[in-house]
Amino acid sequence: MKRSALGVIAAFSMTAAAPLWAAPVTIAHQQGEVTLPKAPQSVVVLDWANVDTLDALGVPIAGVPGSNVPDYLSKFAGDDYAKLGSLQEPDVEGIAALNPDLVIVAARSRRSQPQLNGIVPTVDMSIDNADFIASVKANILEYGEIFGRGDRAREMVADLDAKVERLRAAAQGKGTAMTLVTSGNKLGVYGAESRTSWLQREVGFPTVTNAVDDRSDRGDAASFEFILEANPDWLFVVDRDAGVGQESGEAARALLDNELVRQTSAWTKDQVVYLDPQRAYVVMNGYQALSDLLDQVHDAVSDKG
Amino acid sequence: MRLVLAIAVTALLAVISLFVGVTEITPADLLAGRIDDRQWQVLMAARVPRTLALILAGCATAVAGLVMQIIVRNRFVEPSTAGTVEAAGLGLLVVTLFAPGMPLMGKMLVAAAFALAGTALFLRILRMVPLRDVLMVPLIGIMLGGVIGAGTTFFAYRFDLLPSLGAWSMGDFSGILRGRYELLWIGGALTLAAYAAADRLTVAGMGKDFTTNLGLGYRPTMALALVIVALVSAVVLVSVGMIPFLGLIVPNIVSLIVGDNMRRAVPWVAVSGAGFVLACDIVGRTIRAPYEIPISTTLGVVGSVIFLFLLLRTRHHAPA
Amino acid sequence: MHRPDARARIVLAVLAVLAAAAIVAFMTLGVRGNWGFVLGFRGTKVLGLILVAWSIALSTVLFQTVTGNRILTPSIMGFDALFILIRTGVTFFFGFGALALMSPKVQFGAEVLVMTGFAVFLFQWLFLRAQRSLHLMVLVGIVFGVLFRNLAGFMQRLMDPVQFQTLQDMFFASFSRIDPTLLGVSTVIVGAASLVTWRIAHSFDVLMLGREQAISLGVPYRRRVATILAIVAVLVSVATALVGPVTFFGLLVVSLAHVLCGSGRHRHVLPAAVLLGIICLVGGQTLLERVFAFDTALSIIIEFLGGLVFILLLVRGAAR
Repeated sequence: MKRSALGVIAAFSMTAAAPLWAAPVTIAHQQGEVTLPKAPQSVVVLDWANVDTLDALGVPIAGVPGSNVPDYLSKFAGDDYAKLGSLQEPDVEGIAALNPDLVIVAARSRRSQPQLNGIVPTVDMSIDNADFIASVKANILEYGEIFGRGDRAREMVADLDAKVERLRAAAQGKGTAMTLVTSGNKLGVYGAESRTSWLQREVGFPTVTNAVDDRSDRGDAASFEFILEANPDWLFVVDRDAGVGQESGEAARALLDNELVRQTSAWTKDQVVYLDPQRAYVVMNGYQALSDLLDQVHDAVSDKG
Repeated sequence: MRLVLAIAVTALLAVISLFVGVTEITPADLLAGRIDDRQWQVLMAARVPRTLALILAGCATAVAGLVMQIIVRNRFVEPSTAGTVEAAGLGLLVVTLFAPGMPLMGKMLVAAAFALAGTALFLRILRMVPLRDVLMVPLIGIMLGGVIGAGTTFFAYRFDLLPSLGAWSMGDFSGILRGRYELLWIGGALTLAAYAAADRLTVAGMGKDFTTNLGLGYRPTMALALVIVALVSAVVLVSVGMIPFLGLIVPNIVSLIVGDNMRRAVPWVAVSGAGFVLACDIVGRTIRAPYEIPISTTLGVVGSVIFLFLLLRTRHHAPA
Repeated sequence: MHRPDARARIVLAVLAVLAAAAIVAFMTLGVRGNWGFVLGFRGTKVLGLILVAWSIALSTVLFQTVTGNRILTPSIMGFDALFILIRTGVTFFFGFGALALMSPKVQFGAEVLVMTGFAVFLFQWLFLRAQRSLHLMVLVGIVFGVLFRNLAGFMQRLMDPVQFQTLQDMFFASFSRIDPTLLGVSTVIVGAASLVTWRIAHSFDVLMLGREQAISLGVPYRRRVATILAIVAVLVSVATALVGPVTFFGLLVVSLAHVLCGSGRHRHVLPAAVLLGIICLVGGQTLLERVFAFDTALSIIIEFLGGLVFILLLVRGAAR
């Protein structure tokens, strides 16, 4: 780690050296590794998916982002939690004033890792979309290690495994699936490398097409013909506008309700699943979000005996 | 006769557009009656509407550009270099903020009202400025558009609507289906209106005194022109998003071919506009098939290159 | 000691006091926690903002010197869009892997080099080939900017998502997100460019007189113009890399500097523009961050005001 001018100043501002009896903790993360003098007590998390996971682990969180709070984590909007800037631009001064033992960044806040790490130990816990569920589980186990909650972490991982297995079994022989994202009156297609790749890779829905990649938030622009031609048995739809705090999921439904999509196997069998937009789009790699999504998809799939 | 040729080329592009897409449909099969129900439905529900939408939007946008050029008497204006399109976008944002549930027609009318106000403001500024140079006009228009655009961005940013704003303004025909493009027929009707009023518009472009001396109503004609421009901008924006540069390059290229008589120019502009949009959309459909590249991106590249060519073609000297 | 000189000095003194006040306010308002850390942290931010203000003001003044007018700026001529295009192109053609292996500083250096070569070539071609009118140049610049942006967008559509994510932020300017890792290298680059500027500063006032005059007074015109364009390209690259594209900021501060100083001499206008830039950026950030608690809206406000200034300049006929 290069010591920038910031780092030097931060070093001066740090509190006294760690007590001798604490065992140091080393955390490997996406951008290197960080060694803490002892198990962290106060944690700032600048990514909602990781807030979700740590919350499920029962780890107390000192500070969270001040924007885009998902509904199911609304308790973090309260005054008990420090609000530390937006996802793209963390409030560095606030974090420094709080002086937590550890800062966790991921996804949209990952770019601030080098800067924050000069002030307080900061780890980038972004996940790998291509190996989605495995990454989520690895993160949970790692958090279990760091915070001394290994039992609860293993319990959560076992729970995820069970849900994935249950869904995989339910999805067997249920046909192909395609994930769409709708924004405005346009369609994007999510593919095997995207944030919803787990539906194909880990759950085993056969994909209808191999050549899709994920254009960040829009997916690849596609026409309704494309859906008709691919003729998936299942459509998983993410209403992007609803995911970022716009209208309800009605918009996506209205957009898809047309004579071409109505021909698809998914529509005729009533197998169009509107994934919970926040969970699928904003916090899809949080434990609770993923767990809920697995439940949602499982409920949809198992309804169709 | 050259016009017949242009129509033939555009018609050919329209035919190609019918057969380009994810679903395999070939002309031979169609003629031999070898297409199944599903292919037939794709043809009627997606390909034909899309092709029609392209033709209508292309005609209307290009002709609106021409109308604007006639009444401002400047070769380098069009709705997107006069603040019209940005004003329509602001209108759309306002509707989204205050009445998100409004039907499409209502949204379109609000956008049109804003577009009208924006265009009127532009003309107002032009009247205040001593125009020593033809290029001043588009410059002022572009800047006015920029200022209105900055305002729109600011509110979109405050209310977390930036992604939606991006989605509207991206011109894109991929979502066009039967039942989702019919507003564009208004654009087609306005194209005809522009053709019918071509001579009056030309006279009005000569200035108020000249028009009045000929015994024609100056104000009604100008109002008609503004309504055509504003409505076309709003209809196209609401249906497919922004189509940049088209209203500027097509009339200019046409004037190189057939000269400046508006009555003669309108059919040419309409046909070429349609052909141009068709060509760009076909390219956007094929480059990354089965996915699409939105027309605003393809046309933005091609259109700006042609615009540069038009600008640099003449050795335009500064007035002393 | 003429009167304009005296006025300019007073203006400069006042501006210097205001700039210092803005910096002090930025550094000290609303400090929580450890003063040592906060001062250091805000110090780097201020350094970044000053660097940007310096780069944009200097590049704008130099560009206006070369082009001999007060309305053209590098940003309006599409320089920062060009930088975005180059950044996208480098990522597109050399892949993300290659870039990830290079340190960001090396990559940044390479981008600046490519940008400089390209910009000098392009603008030499535009300016020295023919005596073109000013409005034409502005319009050509704007359209070039649109073209560069669209090309960059086009490439981004063909990229894989990981690359796309890293480039997406480049289209939006933000003054609160300056990357501290680039500050060191940027300071060195800007310092070097400023040194070169200093060495040739004596000829600036002469260059303002126009090409023939400058040549008859013994200035090696072509070479000098090429040098200045290179400096401008380097400065714009640095500013764009640090905060993103800001179209009107340069125009805003330089126009204000001309108005306040009442003299066109570089020794007055240059420092005044830099100081105004600092007041705008540092003062603006202070107001927005500490007083209004907006986050990234400063760039939008600057665009809005700058656009108005531009229209005003056009209307008042500064663009002769």
